[in-house]
Amino acid sequence: MTTNHYEHPEVLVETDWVKQNLGKPGIRLVEVDVDTKAYEAGHIPGAVGFNWQSQLQDQVRRDIVSKQEFERLMSEAGISPSDTVILYGDNNNWFAAYGFWLFKLYGHKDVRLMNGGRVKWLNEADKELTPDKPKITPTKYRVSEPDFSLRALLPEVLKAQSDRRHNLVDVRGPDEYTGKVIAPPGMTETAQRGGHIPGAKSIPWSTAINPDGTFRSADDLRKIYFSNGGVDPGKDTISYCRIGERSSHTWVVLKYLLGLPNVKNYDGSWTEYGSIVGVPIEK
Amino acid sequence: MDHKTRVYENVFEMMPSEENPTPLVRINRLNPNLEFSLYAKLEWMNPFGSVKDRAAWALLRDLEERGELGNGRSLVEPTSGNTGISLAALARARGHRLLAIVPNKVPHEKKVLLKIAGAELEIVSDELCPAPGLGDGSINLAKTYAKAQSHKYVMPNQYENEKNVEAHVKTTGPEIWNQTKGRITHLFTSLGTCGTVTGIARFLRGENSKIKIIAVQPTEGHDVPGLRNVSQLQVSKLFDPSLIDDILEIDFNLAYTRALELCQNEGLLAGPSSGLILEGALQIAARDQRGFGVMIFPDNVFKYTTNMTKHIPALEPQETKATI
Repeated sequence: MTTNHYEHPEVLVETDWVKQNLGKPGIRLVEVDVDTKAYEAGHIPGAVGFNWQSQLQDQVRRDIVSKQEFERLMSEAGISPSDTVILYGDNNNWFAAYGFWLFKLYGHKDVRLMNGGRVKWLNEADKELTPDKPKITPTKYRVSEPDFSLRALLPEVLKAQSDRRHNLVDVRGPDEYTGKVIAPPGMTETAQRGGHIPGAKSIPWSTAINPDGTFRSADDLRKIYFSNGGVDPGKDTISYCRIGERSSHTWVVLKYLLGLPNVKNYDGSWTEYGSIVGVPIEK
Repeated sequence: MDHKTRVYENVFEMMPSEENPTPLVRINRLNPNLEFSLYAKLEWMNPFGSVKDRAAWALLRDLEERGELGNGRSLVEPTSGNTGISLAALARARGHRLLAIVPNKVPHEKKVLLKIAGAELEIVSDELCPAPGLGDGSINLAKTYAKAQSHKYVMPNQYENEKNVEAHVKTTGPEIWNQTKGRITHLFTSLGTCGTVTGIARFLRGENSKIKIIAVQPTEGHDVPGLRNVSQLQVSKLFDPSLIDDILEIDFNLAYTRALELCQNEGLLAGPSSGLILEGALQIAARDQRGFGVMIFPDNVFKYTTNMTKHIPALEPQETKATI
């Protein structure tokens, strides 16, 4: 477990902790990647791999995976509601953080992120990888207490924009915030217009991490978000990015590492907001 | 093997060395600085078409000598193209296989060439959103194969392997020293893995500590394959800033226009990285006024027709439409 003076250090585990707890009953590892080839090439022994596009999202309409699909995914991965689930992935845990948000949304009690993600594990000499998929004993997972208060939908975002009583945190890169680009080069998910939600503060997700991919200390994060970024810890907060994965990363920082009481992830993010007719946009 | 008659028993005998250097050709029409001569070292005259033949050959022989290849064990390497082409062709000619991990930004021509040279390809979306700690998707995927499936793959790792530097200490550096009869005052080269600049600089500085080493790099956001902006250099452990006098950052669009000028004025069918290096050399020649410069031209233009037409749309052939 990580301390670093976070408000909820229990949501992070270090790579060494994962190594020491490999194969222990009740501990399940899940790799969630942007590029799922990485899991096929090699993963932490015992980890199952989730494809964020085909397994964590509805395959017909634009939405998160339904409660029934989430239950099926967990059951097929051999996960029980009482398990401690450790998520990790590439790109500094972007989609692992998205997965973490989804697990919390569907009420899984004990879910944690491996600090530093797959790159940290890969570059540590004493950590093993395997291409072998684990043997799974399916379970009958049931969601008991979903918590949809962790998610912001468009009407709430529009209200927050007009009321100006929320912290709106835009975690995209500076060029996306100013509207110079609508999406990072090569990204297929895009919007009709560039810019940002009026009143949103620009605090790129990457400011929250150290060069080795781990999260910065609580003191650093307080400076970045409160002193320099202008986030008011007394207000409710909504984070957004382009498709909701980088904002999940910042959501973890604000809600768990800094302990803000009410933080929501707007997973519709810029690809939704930047395509709506008539909504206010700032550049 | 006879370098005079150029009759060889196999392709490996053609690899460059002091006895068999790549050509050094003077720039005449594009260099207005009469007191500062500029010579281009045409690395595309290597057997597999680029400066990377040198590193690939050194990396491969090292693995062979250490018994790391064979018995079903192949190479895996991240590459933006040239190393992969050299490595694949050399490996296949020696009876080995290569899995090349290729960023999706690499031009189509190079991906096809890698397959023609005998590499298996795995294409990854790289540089999604550069950030600290993100590393490089292709490097990390290759490392994953080498770590998770070490019985099947070994990674030469051109970004960290000292053999990459050694190749240039043993071949490119001595070649330049001999070809210029020690008159070289400036070396101009680009930055990729940094094996070339570090190796040549190490050798030349040993001969004459006053030789200026100039590294030329494209501006951020560039699409010049194989090159790295300084902000991307953290992945290259072979980067040794103590050996470099100046790092010039040059608008990457000039890589393409200067390459075209080389093709159309000097008869040198040089690729965009050569164009970038020429621009850097001309800037320094104008600044320092006197000198004898050698530019490393990494490869020729044939692999870059797509990028060339993207940056210089006038190159796109237009069909004449008949009016009926």
